[in-house]
Amino acid sequence: MYNPRYIIDVLADNIRKTRNPFGASNRTVNKWWKDTPMSTEGDAMLFTGLMYQLAPYIEKTTKQIERFEDTFFANYVWLNKYVPKFLVKLAFVFMASKKDKQPFNDILKSVVKILVKSNVDFFYKPKLDYYSGILLYDLGDNEGFIEHAKFVAGKLKEQGIKKLITVDPHTTYAMKVLYPKYIGESFEVKTYFELINFKAQDKGRQVTLHDPCFYGRYLELSDVPRKVLDDFGIENIDVRNSGKFTSCCGGPAESVSPALTKEILSKRYAELKETGAPIVAYCPICLGNLIKAGADVEDLSTFIARYA
Amino acid sequence: MTLVNPEFAEELEKFGIDKTLDCFNCGTCAAICPLIYEHFPRKMIRYAQIGAKDRILENYEDLWRCLHCGLCIETCPREADPGDLILGLRRFVIDNWRRA
Repeated sequence: MYNPRYIIDVLADNIRKTRNPFGASNRTVNKWWKDTPMSTEGDAMLFTGLMYQLAPYIEKTTKQIERFEDTFFANYVWLNKYVPKFLVKLAFVFMASKKDKQPFNDILKSVVKILVKSNVDFFYKPKLDYYSGILLYDLGDNEGFIEHAKFVAGKLKEQGIKKLITVDPHTTYAMKVLYPKYIGESFEVKTYFELINFKAQDKGRQVTLHDPCFYGRYLELSDVPRKVLDDFGIENIDVRNSGKFTSCCGGPAESVSPALTKEILSKRYAELKETGAPIVAYCPICLGNLIKAGADVEDLSTFIARYA
Repeated sequence: MTLVNPEFAEELEKFGIDKTLDCFNCGTCAAICPLIYEHFPRKMIRYAQIGAKDRILENYEDLWRCLHCGLCIETCPREADPGDLILGLRRFVIDNWRRA
């Protein structure tokens, strides 16, 4: 296990200076929209919170921290804080290839396809699409989280943005629950799958939904995708630990102990694969971890977009 | 020797925790926790209840093993929000580091 103090210091420093947990440039990370025609004006802003865009970088970084966990080098991770940010930004340009980023960018394009098919009046402004700061909150750095949340909410409010469409559970929880609670700024927040409004039929198809903790418990939204699948005639074979009682994929421990994540993930994957049906995840962290475990898994948006 | 501080529960309020004393140590949280380490988070909650600050600060790494998955919060019969208490203890430890 890494000393959480070092990890928190590095993350907090990155977010404070670059508004990105890795110290990467948001412009480098957020390029998926470039070949996706979308309006820049509308009723609600698509707010990705950069989580899917960061997924390939999380995978690369985790591979590195996995190598050094519990070694002599782990004690020097704090030195990262002193690497000039322009060098960190430069490293991120080359860290993930187009091939690494493509599957996660395609997920966001699938979300757009679903929203268009559902006749949702939405727009996208990449410059306003910021990381929510949720990792600082999860790690206990409330001070850092509040400072960053004020910055993000300030930028959105400046542009008169009131409604957000989110794509992942962590950003959804941050914008829907934590921003009003800790900084007194409220937005009308809906996930893209709450806005699905078109018909399709695929009787006989089976899947197993893996509910992320934030959607299953904290936000109690896991019934929504079940209803969508049911309306499409698709059978969801639930495992015992699902919905409100879903099991964690291990992702939250990844920044301090990839070994612990592996242990938790292997238990969850063993449970999910018992149904024999392809797994559908709806969180970039869960998805990335299940892919790593070798699961037959895809994102809910990719799955649903096929019918759009 | 561990110093006991019954006022610690009040101190934790500034870290967003107001249910420290609600827990009656039944152990449901430890039973449902995916970590299945030595009585986590029950032991930490006990330390918080008796105000054993030094024990919390010595064993701080355990706090960051928590996945904050919320299973303990969902199942606690006292609705004492054990997972949130762990999150509050992280804030307390960070505050100690930053003030040191």
